[in-house]
Amino acid sequence: MNQGSADKTRVDRTARKTVGDFTHPDPRITCRNVSVHYGDKCAVRNVDLDIGRNEVIALIGPSGCGKSSFLRCLNRMNDTIEGCRVSGEFRMDGNDLYDPDMDVVLLRAQVGIVFQKPNPFPKSIFDNVAYGPRIHGLAQTRAGVEEIVETSLKRAGLWEEVKDYLNDPGTSLSGGQQQRLCVARAIAVNPEVVLMDEPCSALDPIATARIEELIDELSELYSIVIVTHSMQQAARVSERTAYFHLGDLIEVGATDEVFTKPQHKLTEDYITGRFG
Amino acid sequence: MNNRGGADMPVDTTQIIKRTLARRYRREARFRRMGLFAVVLGLAFLSLLLFSIVSKGYTAFWQTFVLMDVHLDAGVIDPEGTLDQEVMFAADYGGMIKASLRDTFPEVTQRREKRDLYRLVSSGAGFYLREEVLQNPDAIGKTIQIWVPADDDVDMLMKGHFDRDKPEEDRRIKDQQIAWVDRLVDQNRIELRFNTTFFTAGDSREPELAGIWAAVCGSFFTLVITLLLAFTMGVATAVYLEEFTPKNRWTDLIEVNINNLAAVPSIVYGLLGLAVFINFFGLPRSVPLVGGLVLALMTLPTIIIASRAALKSVPPSIRDAALGVGASKTEMVFHHVLPQAMPGMLTGTIIGMAQALGESAPLLMIGMVAFIADAPGGFTDPSTVLPVQIYLWADSPERAFVERTSAAIMILLAFLFSMNGLAVLLRKRFERRW
Ligand SMILES: Nc1ncnc2c1ncn2[C@@H]1O[C@H](COP(=O)(O)OP(=O)(O)OP(=O)(O)O)[C@@H](O)[C@H]1O
Ligand SMILES: [Mg+2]
Repeated sequence: MNQGSADKTRVDRTARKTVGDFTHPDPRITCRNVSVHYGDKCAVRNVDLDIGRNEVIALIGPSGCGKSSFLRCLNRMNDTIEGCRVSGEFRMDGNDLYDPDMDVVLLRAQVGIVFQKPNPFPKSIFDNVAYGPRIHGLAQTRAGVEEIVETSLKRAGLWEEVKDYLNDPGTSLSGGQQQRLCVARAIAVNPEVVLMDEPCSALDPIATARIEELIDELSELYSIVIVTHSMQQAARVSERTAYFHLGDLIEVGATDEVFTKPQHKLTEDYITGRFG
Repeated sequence: MNNRGGADMPVDTTQIIKRTLARRYRREARFRRMGLFAVVLGLAFLSLLLFSIVSKGYTAFWQTFVLMDVHLDAGVIDPEGTLDQEVMFAADYGGMIKASLRDTFPEVTQRREKRDLYRLVSSGAGFYLREEVLQNPDAIGKTIQIWVPADDDVDMLMKGHFDRDKPEEDRRIKDQQIAWVDRLVDQNRIELRFNTTFFTAGDSREPELAGIWAAVCGSFFTLVITLLLAFTMGVATAVYLEEFTPKNRWTDLIEVNINNLAAVPSIVYGLLGLAVFINFFGLPRSVPLVGGLVLALMTLPTIIIASRAALKSVPPSIRDAALGVGASKTEMVFHHVLPQAMPGMLTGTIIGMAQALGESAPLLMIGMVAFIADAPGGFTDPSTVLPVQIYLWADSPERAFVERTSAAIMILLAFLFSMNGLAVLLRKRFERRW
């Protein structure tokens, strides 16, 4: 922070230290000094951020600034990418996520993810949603699985459209339907933290509203991290907002404050549409 | 600011594109013509090959048979009248056939002439007669009519493969024999019949008694071993290398070596099999077990390479999706990646198997080239395989083996085509699901 500046509320454009309070009084996941590299390229640089219990936190920022990269660290999906290195400290409920003894399968069941690009399994719609509950043994009977599938699809706002075609391949759905299918698949295993990477990018306003409702419902029990390019959506659903820029976490704060009184010049430019 | 619309520089993109279009279409048309030409050329060669094989080989599916009146002398077949199978089995049926021939041509008296006469029917004619007698012993003591195979030279004559105008010493059949055959023809005692022997018998020195059944069985047992070993090991290796090992210098080294193995001449695998399986482990020679092991080694690299390519082509987003809902790596591989890669793996496997089916060189090294007349009953019975059988027949001097060689090639090709058809079918089946 440029404390010497005459204008105390404005921060120098070049300063890359996070503005605002990145901590949360009741954190579920704490990230400290997180960096992500792809080969030599640095995608996320020294980010500190807490994800609170029962909170919805929005990650915003221009394309390519490292939102997805950061998000994927939270359930170690970056492990699968060749040449991707993650450093820093992640703790969920005090446990180190990157501890070699950490059970990644359990972690990913607890921290669900909806990917930026819809990626349904090349299986039936039913099997897409039923897969997670089946492998984790969440339902003992066929009826139990059917019930999970139905409620998940309903919560994702897809049930009415597909209830008569549950045996059709998931890949035959439209882009927006696939996106909701992936949401349904993720919530079918009852994750305690849900990571959503632009879950509404291909959705119409009504389907978007349904997903936002779902986020509200989920946040009563769980934590949600949502990446979005829609400022309005961030403003509607999230309590806190984090603004990323070229791999740096520029500003974090309560959503209404970030949107109404951005402290950092970059944030302000982005929000007012001068950049990004 | 925008000079595109300027009066003196009417930049018309459409015009520019139109000008280039003609050239681009020409290039496309040229490429299509080249492609079409290549396909037509390929088809032409294929049909030429098929035509030459079929035109040479189709006659082998028919065989000349001679109708004989044979007196089943009870005193020879069953002197004690006990109907004892063993006694009946040992009787001199060849002699009865000869007697019948003498009766048909009573003017033949000289020893030399008789010998030529006997040569009209196959030396295996007696076996046909024995079969008949053992099946209905009631006929003993009577005179029966029976069709027996003619000798291969008579067969060739009937099929028009011998030139009657050639001087006698240049053909394998004498003038006198031709005259006898013509008389048989006049009496309607000789005709071409469907050659079941070719499909049911093993190899024989006599072309009219030789068949491919033993070789087909040998190929079957060999390929069963090959398929079991090569498919399971190939797929397991590919999955392990592709999905579970980290990419480092060691796995690179392994990959390079597997690619090298795929290029090793097949005869080298035969030498390896001889040295390792037969000389070191002491497995028997000429058996499908060893043949299958050798061919499995040979096809393994092909299957591994095809399977790895199939695994690589599974989109990473599917893997992410599986891991994202909390599947373990093994679950991800077996529930999502493997089913997606299966069609490619099966195609690779069947191509490998087709290669193995047509392979003869390594099998020569492990002794599967021996003369084997009986069909193998299992994996450790001495046997030969189709391509080796073809090789053996192609090497035989008798004219009748030429058409049998081509016929055996037709059978081999039929197997290959049906295997490839199966590959397509399996592919469709696995792909149709999604
Ligand atoms: N698999 C990868 N391999 C190499 N570089 C990558 C990979 N994924 C992302 N990057 C790089 O990391 C940087 C951040 O990418 P990331 O996907 O996190 O951006 P993002 O903020 O999610 O962008 P968007 O809003 O467009 O989704 C980019 O510069 C990108 O080129
Ligand atoms: Mg992204």
